[in-house]
Amino acid sequence: MIRLLALFALLWPLSVQADPVSLKPGEILRGHFTQERFLAGFAQPVRSEGRFVLAPGQGLIWQGDKPFAVLTVITPAGMAQSLGGKETMRLSATKAPFLARLHEVMAGAMAGDWRALEGEFVVSRQGDAVTLVPRRPDMAQPVKAIRARIGAFVDEVEVEKPDGDRDHLVFSRQSIDPGPLTADEAAAFAGLR
Amino acid sequence: MKQRLFALLWLAVVLAAGIHVGLTAWRGLPLQSDLLALLPAEERQPMVQRAKDHMAAQVSGRVAVLAGHADPAAALRAAQTLRDSLMGQGLLADAGDVPSAQALRQLGGLYHPHRAGLLSPADRQTLVDGNPQALADRTLSQVFGIGGMADARLLAGDPYLLLPAFMTSLPVPASRLTLVDGWPSVTTDGITWVLVSGRLTGRAYGLSDQQAFVDGYAKAAQLAAAQAPGLRLLRLGAVFYAQAGAAQAMAETSFIGVISTIGTVLLLLVVFRSLSPLLLSLLAIASGLLVAVSATLLVFGFLHVTAAIFGASLIGITVDYSLHYFARLFAEGEPRQRLRHVGTGLILGLLTTLIGYGAMALAPLPGLRQVAAFSGFGLIAAFAAVVLWFPLLDRSRCRPLPPLLGRLGRGFWALWDNQGRRLLLLGLVALALLGAARLRVDDDVRRQQALDPALAAEQAQLQAMAGFAGAGQFYLVRAGDTQTALRQEEALGERLAELRRQGALADWRSPARFVPSVQRQVDNIRLTGQHLDGAPLAELSAAIGLPMALAPVASEMLELEQVMATGAVPVLSGLVLAPGMHLVALDNATDLAKLRDAANGLDGISFIDPVADMGELLGQYRQRALWLLAISLVLMLPLLMWRYGVTGGLWVMVPPLTAVLLTPPLLALVGLPFTFFAAMALILVASVGVDYAVFCAESGQGRDPLTILATLLATLTTVLSFGLLAFSGVQGVRSFGAVMLTGIVLSALLAPLAGRVRPKRACNWQAHHD
Repeated sequence: MIRLLALFALLWPLSVQADPVSLKPGEILRGHFTQERFLAGFAQPVRSEGRFVLAPGQGLIWQGDKPFAVLTVITPAGMAQSLGGKETMRLSATKAPFLARLHEVMAGAMAGDWRALEGEFVVSRQGDAVTLVPRRPDMAQPVKAIRARIGAFVDEVEVEKPDGDRDHLVFSRQSIDPGPLTADEAAAFAGLR
Repeated sequence: MKQRLFALLWLAVVLAAGIHVGLTAWRGLPLQSDLLALLPAEERQPMVQRAKDHMAAQVSGRVAVLAGHADPAAALRAAQTLRDSLMGQGLLADAGDVPSAQALRQLGGLYHPHRAGLLSPADRQTLVDGNPQALADRTLSQVFGIGGMADARLLAGDPYLLLPAFMTSLPVPASRLTLVDGWPSVTTDGITWVLVSGRLTGRAYGLSDQQAFVDGYAKAAQLAAAQAPGLRLLRLGAVFYAQAGAAQAMAETSFIGVISTIGTVLLLLVVFRSLSPLLLSLLAIASGLLVAVSATLLVFGFLHVTAAIFGASLIGITVDYSLHYFARLFAEGEPRQRLRHVGTGLILGLLTTLIGYGAMALAPLPGLRQVAAFSGFGLIAAFAAVVLWFPLLDRSRCRPLPPLLGRLGRGFWALWDNQGRRLLLLGLVALALLGAARLRVDDDVRRQQALDPALAAEQAQLQAMAGFAGAGQFYLVRAGDTQTALRQEEALGERLAELRRQGALADWRSPARFVPSVQRQVDNIRLTGQHLDGAPLAELSAAIGLPMALAPVASEMLELEQVMATGAVPVLSGLVLAPGMHLVALDNATDLAKLRDAANGLDGISFIDPVADMGELLGQYRQRALWLLAISLVLMLPLLMWRYGVTGGLWVMVPPLTAVLLTPPLLALVGLPFTFFAAMALILVASVGVDYAVFCAESGQGRDPLTILATLLATLTTVLSFGLLAFSGVQGVRSFGAVMLTGIVLSALLAPLAGRVRPKRACNWQAHHD
């Protein structure tokens, strides 16, 4: 889960050094992603692509389109995942407290508060490249390092795991929308409350 | 001469009793403070009792503290200090409430070879419903979605992620905490809370253990606070309640004790203006207590604290005998004449009271029987002290009755001569009728004892954050062997899952949820083979592009004994009493009726609700106490009729009976419910009330003001000792005290009515002593 947590922290607004893009209250970030998961021992990665919506304070919608319509919604109240409209997983933040923590880190990162992130990782930057190394090993979510490339937005992220698996994410067509959320998006967030 | 011989003989008896008690006390008095020891001896199901004891010990032995601080590092330091200090002092032992990372790894290692037979309840239901695609979809969304935990190795050996689902479905007590640096913790509203939990090494209800723990805790908390200024601590544990309750009772008892002692001493000194009535009264009470303890130990072999306290209060009433004797100081100069004058009243008072206690001793309740025996022996001893010793030891001279007291006595006799006042009496009856409509019974144990509200608030906060929500209720599973027990728990589990959907409970913990029965494991293997292997697996494998296979079936199924032997699941040792004898613990049980019904038709499973059982028991005791009261009043009648004739005997019963009947409805008017403790107080009111009436009947002809004087003194001393209990913070005690206060005052006020009766027959008492 730390991967996820770091990812969102990274999405915003590590770009302080370049042209700072930060979301004002009520603004929404939309974009596309391509995810490649390299599983140890296999040359061919597991590929997926889709769209995402990030609404500070409300949550994240991660909509995979290809090859499967996997929808993941994360809010301070919890997390739900569905495939082709059928729910496959639902976790409430009270059952899985890391979700609450995740949201705190997210909120902190967006407000430019790095203490939360630096509590978990050693952060080093070189030009537009940022590297995060976990301070403590996490039994449930082992992560060796996270590397990111940052322009005006976070453009590319690589998550390296100790057993040889790694995830590679590329973000594109990112834009800031003054809001409000579409009815479907608002409903997706409300569904977790 | 004969008198002197008897007095010496009695002295020898009392001395022997003193030596017996002294020797026993030197070896350690066999005191019983366990409430269960008061239960009827014919407890039908000893196994149920054992399960209750086991569960009660688990629940009462649990201690949990959350250390909270805005700075997570400070909270952690404080928790470490607290834990080290408590364990270092030997007060706390590890209970495994929150599995450590190491325990989880060990558990994973234990389950892994047997994973083919392990399915989470939800996954199993999915397969039973014939919906294997849902499980394939879960894997796909884990792999293709974001935040998935599946890696290549995991997927290759467990393509449907069945083992992680099983492990996360395990019911672990502190469900809302996560491990940070090996410490279970949670962060809410900017404060990080770290849990320190464990099991008491001593007994939660042992007074000395309680005190030792609370003192040790205070020391540990101080050390922790020094480590982290601004530290907040939340406590959970029966030991905290028990200590606070005991401290309150102690403070109250000593306060009431001091007031009552000072009041009584002052009263005796003011009225008699000399020290010897006070000292001799104390002598009578002390010898009564000594003989009572010794005789009870001889008969029962142990002394129950509750019985002793209640019995001692009864003996306290024997001070009435001394008061009647010393009231004669104002009339006769010669001690023997003083005794002769009150002798008949004393004997009748003693006999009626003994009849009352005799009835109590007939009840099949060991607790009441011991109370009866204790007070009976005590009363006889106090009576003997008055009759045999007082005439020899009493050196007081006759003195004139102060005019004020004389007027008071004569006025009191005339209390009900006035027509208007008798109407007042009718008004009181009407008021009582009004109250009777509001009379309600309360047998709830939880309300009879005082629970510290500050502690309750801390506990609620802790439970909400940590997820500790253990309920007092549980199921007892009795089967011939482990496998049968596990199968029954699985059958029960299906019903409980449905009840959980309805909100009747939050969760449950049974051994079968940690280790399914062999039958269930074999069935799980069949289900996965049937629905997940072959084409569905090939499809999933192709979608991800990874070769995958179902978990291999282990040569032997996982057995409960095997898991317990590793100690990886400490919760299990609390749930397994003996082979085939299991408990199913409940979290947040709200709909008890539904939960009770859930056990219906399942062999060997019974729903146990110790609190309700205790309430039921108190209700039974309350009813039986009332029956005993009725029986004892009836049994007193022949004696009273022998002395005063049929109508006279009935008439003497009128004042005490009225007091007994009016007290509960009058108290209902001010909202006090009728409890077991109130019933016990009524027995006392009846026996004291009969005494008052008998003394008035004995001297009604001459309307002797001294009788009234003695009766009023007796009333005042009783009110000073018992009546003050009406102001206790503990509801049970308050109920007892309120009944005593009202009942005794009513008995005294009504007693002059018995003065209309004339003795029909003379006692041969005078002849005997002349």
